[in-house]
Amino acid sequence: MTLSLVLQAIFAGVTNGIVYALVGMGLSAIFKGSRVINAMQGEFSVVGAMTTVLLLTKAGWPYPAAIAAGALAGALLGAGLELAFVRHMARKNASEDSFLLLTIGLALTLSAGTLFFVGRDGYLLPPFGEGVLIVLDAVIQFHALWLIAIGIGATLALRAFFHRTSVGLSMMAASIDADGAATTGINVARMRTYTFFLGGLLGALGGILVTPLVAVDYQLGLNLTLKGFAAAVLGGLTNPLGAAVGGLTLGLVESLAIIGISSSYKDVVAFTVLIVIMILMPNGILGRAGRRGG
Amino acid sequence: MAAEPLLALREVGHAFGGLSVLRSVTFDVPEGGIVGLIGPNGSGKTTLFNIVSGYIRPNMGAVLYRGTPLGRDTIQQRGLAGLVRTFQTPQVFEQMTVLENVMVGVTKLTRTSMLQDLLRTPAARGQMREIRERALAACERFQLAGLRDVPAASLTAGQRRILEIARAVVGEPRLLLLDEPSSGLNAQEIENLRDWIVRLNEGGMTVLLVSHDMGLMTVAPMVHTLYFGEIIASGDMAAIQRDARVREVYLGV
Amino acid sequence: MTSSRPLSSYVTLGLALVVWAILPFVVPRHVADLLVFTGIYTIAGLGIGLLLGHCGIVNLAQATFYGIGAYASAYCTVMLHLPALTGFALGAALSMALAWLIGRPILRLTGYFLALGTLALSAIASALFFEWDWLTGGTLGIGGIPKLDLLGFALDRPSRYYFLVWIVAFACMAVAANLVDSRTGLMLRAMRDSSTAAAALSVDLQSLRTRVFVVCALFGSLAGSLFAHHASFVSTQSFTVDRSINFLLIPVIGGATSIPGIVVGALFITFLPEFLSKLGDFHQILFGLALVAVVVLVPDGLMGALGRLRKRRVAAGNGHGG
Repeated sequence: MTLSLVLQAIFAGVTNGIVYALVGMGLSAIFKGSRVINAMQGEFSVVGAMTTVLLLTKAGWPYPAAIAAGALAGALLGAGLELAFVRHMARKNASEDSFLLLTIGLALTLSAGTLFFVGRDGYLLPPFGEGVLIVLDAVIQFHALWLIAIGIGATLALRAFFHRTSVGLSMMAASIDADGAATTGINVARMRTYTFFLGGLLGALGGILVTPLVAVDYQLGLNLTLKGFAAAVLGGLTNPLGAAVGGLTLGLVESLAIIGISSSYKDVVAFTVLIVIMILMPNGILGRAGRRGG
Repeated sequence: MAAEPLLALREVGHAFGGLSVLRSVTFDVPEGGIVGLIGPNGSGKTTLFNIVSGYIRPNMGAVLYRGTPLGRDTIQQRGLAGLVRTFQTPQVFEQMTVLENVMVGVTKLTRTSMLQDLLRTPAARGQMREIRERALAACERFQLAGLRDVPAASLTAGQRRILEIARAVVGEPRLLLLDEPSSGLNAQEIENLRDWIVRLNEGGMTVLLVSHDMGLMTVAPMVHTLYFGEIIASGDMAAIQRDARVREVYLGV
Repeated sequence: MTSSRPLSSYVTLGLALVVWAILPFVVPRHVADLLVFTGIYTIAGLGIGLLLGHCGIVNLAQATFYGIGAYASAYCTVMLHLPALTGFALGAALSMALAWLIGRPILRLTGYFLALGTLALSAIASALFFEWDWLTGGTLGIGGIPKLDLLGFALDRPSRYYFLVWIVAFACMAVAANLVDSRTGLMLRAMRDSSTAAAALSVDLQSLRTRVFVVCALFGSLAGSLFAHHASFVSTQSFTVDRSINFLLIPVIGGATSIPGIVVGALFITFLPEFLSKLGDFHQILFGLALVAVVVLVPDGLMGALGRLRKRRVAAGNGHGG
């Protein structure tokens, strides 16, 4: 096991980890804000990425505009689904299982819809910045560096949002104590919609950022959902910023574990990690008192 | 020679985080007796109950059942040994009928393997018949026969309480732990409950009863008063109500 | 109310049996083929229904055991040239063993952790079916799985295989019904309604959950083996997470607590793609929407809604509520 192999794995791990972190932060934000486990989180990534791809290649939009539109598409999809389904079920006091089945059904619909409209092919986006950086025989693409930088920026922005802006503080308040928040004039239902908007935005961003590195296809959604969920659990489900740590951890574990084994076992490693941490560390590695599943 | 108490608490103590909830609690529950625990909210009654029934492991001290420490016995193991509890809010099986609820209480007295049940062997059928018969008898005894086929969800609070007790008793426990059994009941229902406790005890059932209802507590010849996790007075209700420390704590006298 | 069944219900049963027996001969071949699949999916869905309806557990791992059953049958008959029964037995044994091993830790989880755990399991299995192509043939799969024969009859067309599949399905339905009406069934429903109270009555929750999970895996494996001999060819596409979700749809749509409901659900997921075949892969979209619709509008499935309608009619007929 040479140093450059390890370094290569670390590069790959951090890169993937940031993507998982973004998906996980969205999932965690949605859970924190609504107690709903969003099994379609990864589909937001696919929809965001596909929107960008289509606008760029079919409609000829400039890249930055296509990216913005893709991120917005994910965000609007999230908010839209909350308004259409979640709100209705929340009013009927639906069980946790019902919400889960709902999001699984929506995930299936979105994934099947992607298959139907776009087909089985995978699509790539152009990277931000051409070329690679070589450190000690280990290669990292410039795009990956951009990805890491944007990911860190997004995490910091999210932190600032939750702690500094009034909307963010209201969302936090509504999720900690809905009744108390309502008495101070916070529209709890609207906060929940914003939460889904935010979750969709983060998911879409993750999808767009990863597509120059990994082709996006209709099956990527489930994969990202499970890994995002692992990231979120690792970070403590009710702690959206913890998912950043969780995502990085997952990415690194995944990449380091497959040194010497074929890289096709990457997913198997990640999903096994998910199962193991749910059983052994349901409150995540940060140990905050999140809520145990179920 | 004094008979060994059915249940014995020795120096039981528990703290949540840094907060001490129970301190050095020691008392006996003699076989065939009724013992009560009374105390204001926050006195540790619920925690003590949860420790005895197996939902919490105490930080300190021991709970002995028939002479041996309960240690790490699970809730189910304690139930099989004869130590059965009810809950402050009656936990009935909502979607099952009254009869089926009681039948669940009988299941621990019988034994079938899943394979026998899957194949509906004569042994499995026989066990089901027995379960049903015992449950029917219990329904008669507890005057629930008319409500046999009613889904438990439709019962009143008083009926739920009786159902819960019937369901617990049909499994032939030795020690019945009643957690705030009068909560949610009206005066008539509490009277009915009191009668049932007396009747069960006369039939040989040992009872440990937690309640804030002083009237119901008169059914217990020995009552321990808990205050901030410590027993501050023991005796029958009359003695408790005369006790200086209790008066100070409850009435500020 | 006495428990003697009226003559009319026996007559209905008899008629239904006759219809069932002549159906494969009067419908076109591809419909008979779909009816075979309905039987196979009924078997797979029964297990999921038991877990969902009686344990309140969402099991998204069924494609794993379906796949193990199918590959075991394929491998035993095609690679090892052993009689078909060994494939069935091997698949069943492997599935039950795996369910036992993985079930014990995973079933300690509850709610959405458990559901997502089973989903992760299905994803792992799907990836391994793909990776271990020395065993499964990967996407190229294993072909040439022989048709079965029963008492000398070669079950080489759907109208004949139909009978084997449905007899197995009826047997599984009987076994599931036995379980529901048994002592174990009582404990399962108690666990579903209030696990706290069930534990207080000494019901061993963990052991029950694991055992039902193992039974579910057995049914999944049987269905998979039957599938292998029907399709003659198995490859990874049939054992993905989508398949697990489709299996979950069966009790969700038809009603998890009713055994006829499982048949309804199986009919739904078999025939809907057929009706929409002109639209290509559109049926998955509708499956997703159907799941959403049922969850939002009819949480206990079609049979559940029917049950409530019937109760309302009885109550109205009796002139008062229960």
